[in-house]
Amino acid sequence: MASNAAVPFWRAAGMTYITYSNICANLVRNCLKEPYKTEALAREKVHFSISKWTDGKPEKPNDV
Amino acid sequence: MAMAALRREGRRFAPLISPRPITAFRSSPLAPTREDEGPIGVRYISTQVVRNRMKSVKNIQKITKAMKMVAASKLRAIQTKAENSRGLWQPFTALLGDTPSVDVKKNVIVTVSSDKGLCGGINSTSVKISKALHKLNSGPENETKYVILGEKAKAQLVRDSKKYIELIITELQKNPLSYTQVSVLADDILKNVEFDALRIVFNKFHSVVSFLPTVSTVLSPEIVEREAEAGGKLGDLDSYEIEGGETKGEILQNLTEFQFSCVMFNAVLENACSEQGARMSAMDSSSRNAGDMLDRLTLTYNRTRQASITTELIEIISGASALEG
Repeated sequence: MASNAAVPFWRAAGMTYITYSNICANLVRNCLKEPYKTEALAREKVHFSISKWTDGKPEKPNDV
Repeated sequence: MAMAALRREGRRFAPLISPRPITAFRSSPLAPTREDEGPIGVRYISTQVVRNRMKSVKNIQKITKAMKMVAASKLRAIQTKAENSRGLWQPFTALLGDTPSVDVKKNVIVTVSSDKGLCGGINSTSVKISKALHKLNSGPENETKYVILGEKAKAQLVRDSKKYIELIITELQKNPLSYTQVSVLADDILKNVEFDALRIVFNKFHSVVSFLPTVSTVLSPEIVEREAEAGGKLGDLDSYEIEGGETKGEILQNLTEFQFSCVMFNAVLENACSEQGARMSAMDSSSRNAGDMLDRLTLTYNRTRQASITTELIEIISGASALEG
């Protein structure tokens, strides 16, 4: 279905709304003052191991 | 002859006075059996086997008690987070409704489970419900795929549903759970999987002893459009005014992505709470069983010990009466 309004710039760049909001949140976190800033950035570390399966066979897992 | 008997008697007295060090000394070089025959014909039943068993059961009891306390403290930490996260998806359900009975072509079942074991039956119930959902939703034109979070569900689902698995995600709890982590995960799922409806299976935490498996449904924007025409809750969406320069389809797309992320966040947190609660009760019943086992073993040990003392006494007395008579 054709959109009447222009697609927002981030969706045109291939990002989802979630990616967009995460980047914005990171920008806000970087604006904090010093002791809180390192705490906040340490709090938001991401780690998981994802592996895509095709036809019942696993591919090599990538770590994020 | 008398001297040899006296010497034998003397040796028999020694085990009576201090049975424990002698058995410990004897059983290490020689093979411990239920009835030991010492080098000079002294016969007594070894309590070593029972004592070893008691020591190991006591250690297990200590370990399970410690695990229960660790689980209790982790539960306290994560429970506040889970209860606060409930407010994230409730507005979505108020707006878009939760329709598990929606009939779509591409279903994706997201099974949330734990990475570590010893947590009772919660992972098995999640897998059972996922399999039931899969069966319910597979028809001639429908296809259902799995996205698996956690090692335990992976182990169970790999066994018989290999060809339906789309993604497997593990090691989720290496860092403390936060919205950033779950949203990146949700983003990965959205990018890699095509779906019309996502059904998230997790254990909702009601209290420390009750965890109910629940299914949350998140629809893709196109299906929301389709259902909106059918009326009902989604049909009221048109009565909302849209600000800004976006169309309804735009907003719906953003909303569904955000809804998925929020629902995933809540699901992962609640499942983690249920995991700790289940681990607490599993370790508690394990400690209690170990305690019962220890009681039974103590009785056996005392019986064995008394029997061996009685045997000693009988032999000494009969030996002494043989000397006199």
